[in-house]
Amino acid sequence: MSRSGPMAGDPPPDMIPGRSQHRQAGWYRLLAGIAALLIMMLIGVTCVDVIGRYLLNRPFGGAYELTQMLLAALVFMALPLTSADGGHVEVDLALHLFPRGFQRLLGRLAGLVSAVVLVYFAWRLIEIGLDQLRGGTRSASLALPMAPLAFLAAASCAVSALVMVLRREEP
Amino acid sequence: MTISLIAFAILLVLVFARIPIAFAMALVGGVGFALLRGWGPAGAMVGNAVFETGLNYSLSVVPLFIFMGNVLAGSGIAQGLFSAADRVFGRMRGGLAMATVLSCGGFSAVCGSSLATAATMSKVTMPSMRRFGYADSLATGAIAAGGTLGILIPPSVVLIIFGLLTEADIGKLFLAGIIPGVVGIVGHLLAVMVAVRLNPEQAPPVREVHPMTRRDAISVAAVLALFAFIMTGIYGGLFTPIEAAGMGAAAALVIAFATGGLTRAALWRAFLDSATASAMIFAIIIGAEIFSNFVTFAGLPGSLSAMVENLGLSPWAVLLAIVLIYIVLGCFLESLSMILLTVPVFYPLVSELDFGLAILQDPDAVLIWFAIIVVVVTEISLITPPIGMNVFVLRSVLPDVPLRTIFRGVYVFWMADIVRLALIIGLPVLSLYLVT
Amino acid sequence: EELIMSSWLPPKHPIVVNAFEPWAKEVEKVTGGRVTVKIMGKPLGSPPAHFDMARDGIADITYGLHSFTEDDRFKRARLGQFSFLGDDAVANSKAYWTIYGGKLDAASEHKGTHLLGLFMHGPGLLHNNKRKIEKPDDMAGLKLRVPGGYVGDLVSSLKATPLFMSSPEVYEKLSRGVIDGVAFTYEAMTAFNLVDYIKYSMTVPGGIYNTTWFFVINEGKWNSLSEKDRAAIDAISGEAFAERVGQAWNNADVVAKEKVGDKVLFYKAGPEVVAALREAAAGLEKTWADSLGNDYDGAAALAEFRQMTGVGSE
Ligand code: NA
Ligand code: NA
Repeated sequence: MSRSGPMAGDPPPDMIPGRSQHRQAGWYRLLAGIAALLIMMLIGVTCVDVIGRYLLNRPFGGAYELTQMLLAALVFMALPLTSADGGHVEVDLALHLFPRGFQRLLGRLAGLVSAVVLVYFAWRLIEIGLDQLRGGTRSASLALPMAPLAFLAAASCAVSALVMVLRREEP
Repeated sequence: MTISLIAFAILLVLVFARIPIAFAMALVGGVGFALLRGWGPAGAMVGNAVFETGLNYSLSVVPLFIFMGNVLAGSGIAQGLFSAADRVFGRMRGGLAMATVLSCGGFSAVCGSSLATAATMSKVTMPSMRRFGYADSLATGAIAAGGTLGILIPPSVVLIIFGLLTEADIGKLFLAGIIPGVVGIVGHLLAVMVAVRLNPEQAPPVREVHPMTRRDAISVAAVLALFAFIMTGIYGGLFTPIEAAGMGAAAALVIAFATGGLTRAALWRAFLDSATASAMIFAIIIGAEIFSNFVTFAGLPGSLSAMVENLGLSPWAVLLAIVLIYIVLGCFLESLSMILLTVPVFYPLVSELDFGLAILQDPDAVLIWFAIIVVVVTEISLITPPIGMNVFVLRSVLPDVPLRTIFRGVYVFWMADIVRLALIIGLPVLSLYLVT
Repeated sequence: EELIMSSWLPPKHPIVVNAFEPWAKEVEKVTGGRVTVKIMGKPLGSPPAHFDMARDGIADITYGLHSFTEDDRFKRARLGQFSFLGDDAVANSKAYWTIYGGKLDAASEHKGTHLLGLFMHGPGLLHNNKRKIEKPDDMAGLKLRVPGGYVGDLVSSLKATPLFMSSPEVYEKLSRGVIDGVAFTYEAMTAFNLVDYIKYSMTVPGGIYNTTWFFVINEGKWNSLSEKDRAAIDAISGEAFAERVGQAWNNADVVAKEKVGDKVLFYKAGPEVVAALREAAAGLEKTWADSLGNDYDGAAALAEFRQMTGVGSE
C-alpha cells in the first residue's frame, strides 16, 4: 500500500492498547481464531435478524439470546489473549521515581495479585455453573443450557491467571 | 462516606503499584464487600458480576463498534482521514495537531468507543507528528483529547448505556450529541492554536502540503457513507441503535473490501485487536461493577444525593453541584464505572428540577440535556489525572512516552472542554436543537 | 437491625413507591424500630440475579420475577402465568399467595429464603399497531414481543411470531416497526413510553398472560430476628402484602388508562378469538400440570385459582 503525504512509510496501524505484540503461540492463535469466528457470528446474527425481517418478513426470534451468549463467549475467549498481551490498563504515573529492579518487582507482584483475583473469579464461576447445572437453568427462547457458559468463563479466568503469573516483563 | 473514601485511597495505592485497574477495583470492591457483609455474599456478588456482565445484551455494541473502527483503520481509512484533514490545516503552525483533532472527530463518527478512537488514531497520527518535530506533549495531548470525542459523536457506547439506565430514547441521545461534539472539535482546534501561540517550539513552522490523493478522498467518502448508513438505519427505522453495531460492522467490511485496502493480515489484526480490546473493556466493567456494588453498600450514592439535596440549593446550583461531584469523581473513576455508579442516583434528582426555561419544560428534554452534560463531564474525566483512561491507553500504545508528558500536553484541551461544558450547561439548545 | 433491600425497578416505579417503600416503613413501625429496611439506590446485581442475591445474602431482601430465567426450580410458580386468571391484581395476588404459597408449597421452591410475598399484576393485554384482531386468523404473521415461554407458545399456536427481548428494548423495537406488538399490562404502556406506537389493545377476560413475582428475605437473616419481630413482619407481609401490592398495580393501571385516553383503541376479544386462545391455553396448561408429577395437582390448583378470582364460572 503506497501513499504520499505525511504518512508515507509509516508502520501499519497497530490498534491494540497493549504493551507487547500479539503472540504466535499455538494456544494463542487457536483462541484468537475462535474469537474471530465469534465476532463474525455476532455480526451474522444481527444481519440475519435485520435482513430476515424486512426481506422475508421472518425475524430471528433467538437473536437477542444468541447475541448475549456469543458476547459472553467472545469476552471470555479473548480474556487470556488480553492478559498475555499485557493489554489490561495499568497506571505507571509514579513508576519512574523508582529504580528499575523495583519496577520489575512491582510488575511481578501486580501479576500475582491479578492472578489471585482471576482464580477467585474462576472459583465463583464454577460455583455458578454447578448451581445452574443443578437448577437446569436455560435460556428463555432457545432453551440453551447456561452452565457450559459459566464453565467456559471459569476456564478462561483460570488460564488468564496462569498467563498473568508467567508473563515476563520485556527488558 | 468515610469507608468509601478509604476505599478510594486504597484503590489508588494498588493502581499506582501497577495492578491493572480492572483487578484493583475487583479486589478492593470484593474485599470491602466481604468486610461489610461476609465472604459468602461477597463471593456470590463477585461471581454474578463476572458472569452477568458477559451476558449483557446491550454491551454487544462494545466489540462490534470497535471492530467497525478497526476494519476501517486496517484498510487505511483512518490514515486517509488524517491526510485529508492535514490538507485543511497543513499551512498553519500546529497544523498536524489540528488535523489529528479533526480526524479523531471524523473517526469518532464510525467508532463507538473513546478508548478505541484514541488507540487507533495514535498509531495513525503519532509517527507523522514525530517526524515533523512536534513535541510529544502536544502530539499525545491532541490524540488523547481528540479520542474523547468518540463518546459524544454518535455512535456511542456510553450514550447507549446511559439510555438503557434511564429509559431515554437512544436515537434522540445520538442526535443530541452531534452539535456538542462539533463544538468539542472546534474547541480542541482553538486549544491547539492557543498552545502553539504560547509555546511555538512545540510545533515546527509551515511545511509543504501534499495534494489530495484519490485514496484520501475515498477514505473521507467511506467514513461519510458509513456514518450515513448508521444514522439512516437508526432514524429510518431499519434497526435499533444496538443492532446498528452489528449492521455497521458488516457495512464496514463491505466498504473495506470494496475500496480494496484491507489485506488478509490487516483483517486478522482487526479481529484480534477488537477481541482483545473488548476483553480489556469488559474486565474494567466487571471490576467497576464489583467496586460500585461495594460503595453502594457503603452508602456512597445515598450520601452524595443526600448531600446535594440537603444543601437547599436552587435548581441551577444543584446541577452545578452535581457537575462538580462528577469532575471530582472523574479524577479517580474510570468513565463507565462513573456512569454506572452515579446516573441512577442523580438522574431522578435532576428530573424533578424546574430550570425555568421553556426549552426544558419537557422532562424528556431535561433528561437528554443532562445526558449530554454527563457525557461531556465523562469525556473530561478520561483525560483528568490521576486516572485518565484515554491517557493510559495512549501510554500503552506509545510505551516510550511518559504519562507525565501526556498529561502536560492535555491540559489546554482540558480547559477547552471546561469552557465547552459551561456552554452546554448554559445553552441547552446546543444539545436539544436537533432533537426537537 | 438494618435489613438491606436491593431494588432493580426504577425508583419512581408505582410498586416501589406504593408497595415496597410503605412496607419498609411499616416494618420499622410494627417492630418498634428494632428492625429497619434500607432500600438501596442502585441494584446490587442484574434483575435476573435477584433471587440468588437474597439466597446468598448479597442483599437481605429482594424481589423479582419467577420467569427471569428458565429453569426447573420455579416450576410450580407458573400457576400464575397462564391466561384467563383474573382482572384484579388484588384478587390475583391473594389467590396466588394462598394457592401457590399453600398447597403448591412455594416455600420449597424458594429454599434459602423466607417468603415475604408472592404476587401478580393486573391483566396482561395484547397491544399492536397493525390491526384489530377480530378473528383468530388476524393474529397470523404479527411479530409480538412476549415476556416468556408460555405466552410465546400461546401466540405461536395462532401463527403469530413471538420474539424475546428485555423490556427497555421494546421501545426501540416497537418505535422502529421491528415488532408489531407486545404482550404487556396497561401500566407498561406508559411506563415504557409505548403509547404513540400502539393502536389496538385487546383485552381478554382474566388477561392474556400474567407475571408472577417473589418477595423474599435471606433465611439466615430472617432466623436471626427475634420471634416477636418475625411475627410482626409476617403479619404485614404475605396476604397483607398481596393486598397492598395488588392495590398498587391496580392504581397504576387506572392512572395509565387515564393517561392513554383514546389514543389507543381498547376492545374486548371476540368469542371466536377467545375460543381459539382457550383451546391453545388448555393444552399448555395440561402439559404444565402433567410436568408436576403426582405430588401436586396443577389442574385443581388452576381451577381453584379461577374460583377465587371469580373468572372460573365463565
Ligand atoms: Na462515536
Ligand atoms: Na480521570
